Amino acid sequence: MEAKKGETYKVLKEKMTISQEIKDNLKTFTQIKKSILNALKERRMTVPELSKAIDMSTDRTMYYLMTLLKYGFVVVDEIDDMDEYFYYKLKNNG
Amino acid sequence: MPENNKTIEYDALIIGGGIAGGEAALNLANVGYKVLIVEKDLSIGGKMILLSKVFPTLDCSACITTPKVSEIMRHPNITVFTSTQASNIIKKDDGTFEATITKQPRYVIAEDCTGCQLCEQACPVSVDDQFQYNLVGRKAAYIPFSIASPRIAAIDIANCTLCGACERACPTKCIDFTQTVETYSLKAKTVIIATGFQLFDPTLIPRYGYGKFKNVITAMQMERQLAPTRPFNTILRPSDGKMPDNIAYILCTGSRDKTVGNPICSQVCCMYSTKQAQLLMGALPMADITLYYLNIRAFGKGFNEFYAQAQAMGVQFTKGKVAKITEKENGNLLLRYEDINGGGVVKETEHDMVVLSVGILPNQGIAELFSNDELVLDPYNYIGQSDFLASPAQTSIKGVFVAGVASGPMDIPDSILSAGSASSDAANYIRHLNKKTVSV
Ligand SMILES: Cc1cc2nc3c(=O)[nH]c(=O)nc-3n(C[C@H](O)[C@H](O)[C@H](O)COP(=O)(O)OP(=O)(O)OC[C@H]3O[C@@H](n4cnc5c(N)ncnc54)[C@H](O)[C@@H]3O)c2cc1C
Ligand code: SF4
Ligand code: SF4
Repeated sequence: MEAKKGETYKVLKEKMTISQEIKDNLKTFTQIKKSILNALKERRMTVPELSKAIDMSTDRTMYYLMTLLKYGFVVVDEIDDMDEYFYYKLKNNG
Repeated sequence: MPENNKTIEYDALIIGGGIAGGEAALNLANVGYKVLIVEKDLSIGGKMILLSKVFPTLDCSACITTPKVSEIMRHPNITVFTSTQASNIIKKDDGTFEATITKQPRYVIAEDCTGCQLCEQACPVSVDDQFQYNLVGRKAAYIPFSIASPRIAAIDIANCTLCGACERACPTKCIDFTQTVETYSLKAKTVIIATGFQLFDPTLIPRYGYGKFKNVITAMQMERQLAPTRPFNTILRPSDGKMPDNIAYILCTGSRDKTVGNPICSQVCCMYSTKQAQLLMGALPMADITLYYLNIRAFGKGFNEFYAQAQAMGVQFTKGKVAKITEKENGNLLLRYEDINGGGVVKETEHDMVVLSVGILPNQGIAELFSNDELVLDPYNYIGQSDFLASPAQTSIKGVFVAGVASGPMDIPDSILSAGSASSDAANYIRHLNKKTVSV
């Protein structure tokens, strides 16, 4: 197949098969991203609060929340009254 | 199959683009020699480019490394190949070298990439970010890190779904999935090995719970947390995002420990832990920081003063051997240790985060790169120095020199000194060869 600029991925797609693991990883990330962003639509949350809201362990919640912070979907808000946990909110949600 | 096999010629081949390889390259290039650096990663700069600040001066590491790497990248006498390895290095009868150079595809046309990150934004895939030591994710289309050099995108083909989103988003149309492995036949007059080190894997000490207890992290992960380009918004516990206020360090993790196969001192852990403790006192003024140590080795220039400065700031140094860590339900960690200065009694203390001061180990497989001459290693698998006192850069193969941590644990100033020695020996070797050719 002739490689067209801007569509060269099609050439490799014909030669390679995408493993189930890669597909599953994409699915997991997309789902978790959606549930975190949905939960934060309601209100700002700390990691433990978000973890309860989306029913995921706090360490996985932390990892994905920080990843979404890095990707620019989420921003940091104030720290809680005990100076322990930061609140996080959606980027375009005030 | 590799498609091309061009012949290329340089005065010097430098294997490894960390601070030692980079410094050696600049020294040779500045006196007019043509240098090829082959770096296996996507960026040059080695470990130093990822550090926060450096002991004992507390200068910002990125501020020192960034101008240096850009000087290397822009130097007319230096060529840098990233994602590249050298192999099958042969010493010829005339004293010169030949090698095979294998460059993995980046799937991005380097000259056309502006580093705009639009591909990154478009990519739907997220995997662990190796440059943040897996504390957060990164995309499959990605710029390795913000101060990477070259600062251009790469496609992680092993995790890519070939959806094409990055390619559609790229304004310069420089993503190219048709790129393949490139091979070159290299001719060079000298070789410098500057392959640096790898970190000790703390899962080999299961009683510390690394990997299982989320608030047990490595010192390299703490370096990233302390760096301006940090993975989190500030220093936080990976288990739940809490700001820690009682952090413990366990020194000599994987060093001076025959049971894990590394009986020697890593030379830098005492001082980088003391450095991190000082930086933490600045970042978290209310926090308690305790270093559990066996001996503090503060042998270098300014080191003892640096250690005293940490003590004066309130860092607690406890001479104690940590036997075991257990995790409480709230993620806090209980350290059971032998209080050596307290008569050897066994004590238990609680901390909300533990940093393992992991040791450094030589990279494997370097001797195997040489085909017809034996590159002798030392008893700890670092590159052997055949004439340690008179010519510390000389290896068992004449014309092959070693720089930086590839020859044994050392800090940045010593790596730079060692690179100076390797480059001056290499320059002499080249001059000697050139004279021979002229006189023939
Ligand atoms: C947590 C931590 C904190 C530290 N803090 C300090 C500090 O504050 N001050 C200080 O002075 N020192 C510090 N150090 C030590 C410092 O990191 C080293 O002294 C320095 O990085 C050594 O540089 P190097 O170039 O020899 O090795 P590296 O930085 O390891 O660079 C080697 C390079 O070679 C590449 N490479 C390896 N194998 C190959 C191959 N086969 N082919 C091609 N390329 C290859 C690697 O990818 C890498 O880019 C610290 C170390 C650690 C672990
Ligand atoms: S083709 Fe691969 S790298 Fe590009 S956007 Fe899709 S998954 Fe990401
Ligand atoms: S590959 Fe294209 S989209 Fe990605 S950073 Fe480079 S120029 Fe931008």
